[in-house]
Formats: sequence, C-alpha cells, structure tokens
Amino acid sequence: MAGVGRTTRLSLQGLAAYSLPVISFVAGVVLWQLLISLFRIPAYLFPSPSAIVQVFFTGHVNWLQQTWITLNEAVTGAVIGVIVGFAIAVVITLSAPLRKILMPYIVALQVLPKVAIAPIIYILLGFSNTSRVLLIVILTFFPIVINVSTGLTDVDRNLIYLLQSLRAGQATIFFKVRLPNSLPYFFDGLKIAVSGALVGAIVAEFVSSNSGLGFLILNSQYTFNTVAAFGAFTILTVLGLLLYAAVIVLARQLMPWYRSG
Amino acid sequence: MASVVVLENVGKRYTTVKGKEIHAVKDVSLSVQTGETVGIVGPSGCGKSTLLRLIAGVERPSSGSIHREAAGGHFIVGYVFQDSSLMRWRTVYDNIKLPLEVVKKRDLGNVDRLIDLIGMKGFERSYPIELSGGMQRRVSIARAFVHEPSIILMDEPFTGVDELTKEALQTELGNLIRTLRATALLVTHDIEEAVFLSDRIFVMSPRPGAIVEEIPVNLPAVRDASTRSNLEFVAAAGRVRAKLLELHAMRVEAAT
Repeated sequence: MAGVGRTTRLSLQGLAAYSLPVISFVAGVVLWQLLISLFRIPAYLFPSPSAIVQVFFTGHVNWLQQTWITLNEAVTGAVIGVIVGFAIAVVITLSAPLRKILMPYIVALQVLPKVAIAPIIYILLGFSNTSRVLLIVILTFFPIVINVSTGLTDVDRNLIYLLQSLRAGQATIFFKVRLPNSLPYFFDGLKIAVSGALVGAIVAEFVSSNSGLGFLILNSQYTFNTVAAFGAFTILTVLGLLLYAAVIVLARQLMPWYRSG
Repeated sequence: MASVVVLENVGKRYTTVKGKEIHAVKDVSLSVQTGETVGIVGPSGCGKSTLLRLIAGVERPSSGSIHREAAGGHFIVGYVFQDSSLMRWRTVYDNIKLPLEVVKKRDLGNVDRLIDLIGMKGFERSYPIELSGGMQRRVSIARAFVHEPSIILMDEPFTGVDELTKEALQTELGNLIRTLRATALLVTHDIEEAVFLSDRIFVMSPRPGAIVEEIPVNLPAVRDASTRSNLEFVAAAGRVRAKLLELHAMRVEAAT
C-alpha cells in the first residue's frame, strides 16, 4: 500500500516538473495577448502573439526562403568553425612551441568582442557570402578550441603512466586517451558554438546583406514592420532550440558512457 | 630464485614547476624475486609512487640503477592505481583489453578468463559509471594482469574503499596473485593491507624516501579472513607499526 502511494506521489511530482514550464509559457503568451488588447497597443510598437502568427501567412515575406538563407550560413560557418577549431586545439596540445607562439593571438581574439570586426571583414572580402560565413567561423571556432584543448590536456595522469609503461608512443596515447577524453568537452563547446553561429549569421546580415532573417529584421526597422521582426525572432528562437537539441541528441548517441548512470 | 627487478642505490630528485627542488627517493636498494609479493609501507608523500614510476620506466632515476629481468620476453609491468583510473568511455571488457591492444597481442582469451576470475561475468558491456567502487577496483586489477606482466605494481590499490569491501578485495587480490603465480610490488600506507598481501615488507622513511627496515611475514601462502587473527599476522603488523611510529617520533623531534 505504501508503495502504491509513493509511486502516485512520484508521478505527480514528475508531472509537475514537466507541466509547470509549459503552463508558465502558455500563461505568459495569454497574458501578453490580453495586455496588448486591453491597452490597445498598436502592432508597430509591440505586436500581439496572434498578430505574429498571422504574419507568417500574409504572404509578404517568403519565410521559408529567408530562414533557409540564415540557417545555411549558420550551419556552413559552424561546420567550418568546428573543423578549424578542432585542428587548432590538436596542434596547440601536441606542440608546446606552437602553443606558445599562437597563444597571444588566441588570447587577443578571445577577449575581443568578435562581432566588432564584422563591418571590417567586408572591406577585406567584399559583400559576399564568404564574408558572412567567415564571421560565423570566427565566432564558432573559439569555444571549440578552448574546450577541446582542455579536454585533450585534462586527462587522468595515471592513464598516461599506464600507457607509457606499456611502451605506447605519443600517437597511441593521443588516440586511446586524449581524443576520447576530449569528447564531453567538445560537446560542451559545440553547444556554445551553435548559438554563436546564429548570432554571427544575424550580425553578418545586419552589416551586409539583402536577404536572410537578419536583413529582414533590419528592414522591418526602416518600415516600422515590427510584426515581421517578431516573426523573425520566433523563428530564430525555434532554430536555436533545434540546433541545441541536435547537439544533445548527438552527444547522447556518441557518448553512451557519459552520465548514462 | 631469479629476481625480476633489482634496484641499486636508486635516488630521484626533481624540480617542481615553481622551481622547488624535491628529493623524492634516496638511496633505495631492493630486489623482488619471481613469484613473491613485496610490500613497501611508508607515510603519505614519502616517494612510494615515484618508486613505482621508476620501476615502470615512466621516469628515470637521478642516481643509481634499476635492472629489469624478464623470463623469456620483454620486461613489462601491470599497473594498479589509487583510484581505479579506468577509461570511462570503455566498457568493462574493453578496459581490461587495453594493455593487450597496446602491446599488440592478438589472443584475447585472457580477457574472458580474468572477467571470470574477478566475478564480473555479465558486466562485460557495462561502463565504469554503472559500476560500484568495489567493481571498478576489480576491473582495474584485471587490467593489470591481462597481459601477463613480469611484475604487478600496485599503488595504494584500495584507498577510499569501505573497510569490509576492502578486506574482501584484498582476499580476492591475494588469491588472484597466487592463482596466476604473479610477482607483485605493493605500495601502501595501510599496515594490515601490506601484511596480508606481502611475503616481505620494506618500511620507508618520510621524504626523501629511504628504506629503513625489512620485515619478513611468515604467513602461509593461502590467506583468508582468519589470517587476520593469526598471531604472526598481528606480530608482523606490530613490528611495522612500531617502526613507522619510531620514524614519526623522529620527525616530530626534528621539527621541534
């Protein structure tokens, strides 16, 4: 009997854990709708949720196309950024001299707010897709370099001793200890990188573009089409969530040994 | 009897990152014979772990020499660490298999044999995170034996394990060493552990670690829970404890 009572209470707690955030979100949207109607706030100042939903169906904007442009830039930049970041992390981990040589540049880039260089990239590379992708690469490779190099270095000393005692070379130690050890760090970096990729895509489009969600937001400002900007915010939120979820799913697939207990 | 490792006047000094010179080991001479288990007991930080790394060939001595002999083949060690130091991304089976991969031995029969000996059948595909602390120690012990090393080096193998599990693990480890006719060198600060597992015990002084006494343990080869109340067990433990207390008193005197 006691067992039955306990399971019921547990499932109620479980329900509360999942339902409370949903209730909170729905209540917030309803309240938002009510406040806009109650105070008759015009849509160009602050649109209501229903107006935002409507904007997706008015046909003035090709939402799918604009979303695709931004997503394509973000993903391309992120993929290149991750590859470059991983390579740099490996190089600075394996070579102490190279680490010391590259360190000042890495630290300088680390502390610089990277979006600040966006307007200047276009002087160098022109108003092209390449410039936009480059900004995203700069934003995404950073968390990967920092996290992966930590993961490659922050290994159990005993495992190194163990392999050295078995006459293993640096390559064996790298592939059997350092690389697998860096995986959880890599995925933590990837979570930061995917949100950075979206920031980069939007900033790049602010500075130079005639398409994409960033351009759409900027254009909405000139035309007082606030509803369209909020439509773009909604899509960006969903994109951010999907990219983040994709990283988590990938991490669970590749690391069944991590927090599986 | 042939010796597996002979240390002659081995010393080790090294400089820390902050530039401080540390004299870890001083003038250690000892030998380990084939088939015996030698215990080294000393206070924490007396250079015991350094001594094991020197024997493993991971570090080089600053003075003295180490002779390693292997009966037919290469001298190679098996290593058991303080915290089991398993690869968390590898299953039980793959963790135990690791040394065979590194020394490129094709025959993986020993992996199954050891899983059986340590009573971990059915856990082959489990990851370390899914195991209890005691089970993790068993896996790390199996990993040390799997490639049939010339000598098993054990560095405080049961630190942080609760008392009852520790005694059970010590009995299992003793049985494993005997069954596989292994040669072992055990480094520990746990007096009872050293007496239970060893044929001879060396007492080490605080840093710079030097061997100050050799104490024989005249116990039967087969040891179990009842061994712990054997008079010889109690006597040997008493001798080790007396020597360690004497060293401790000397250090306190020197400090005041």
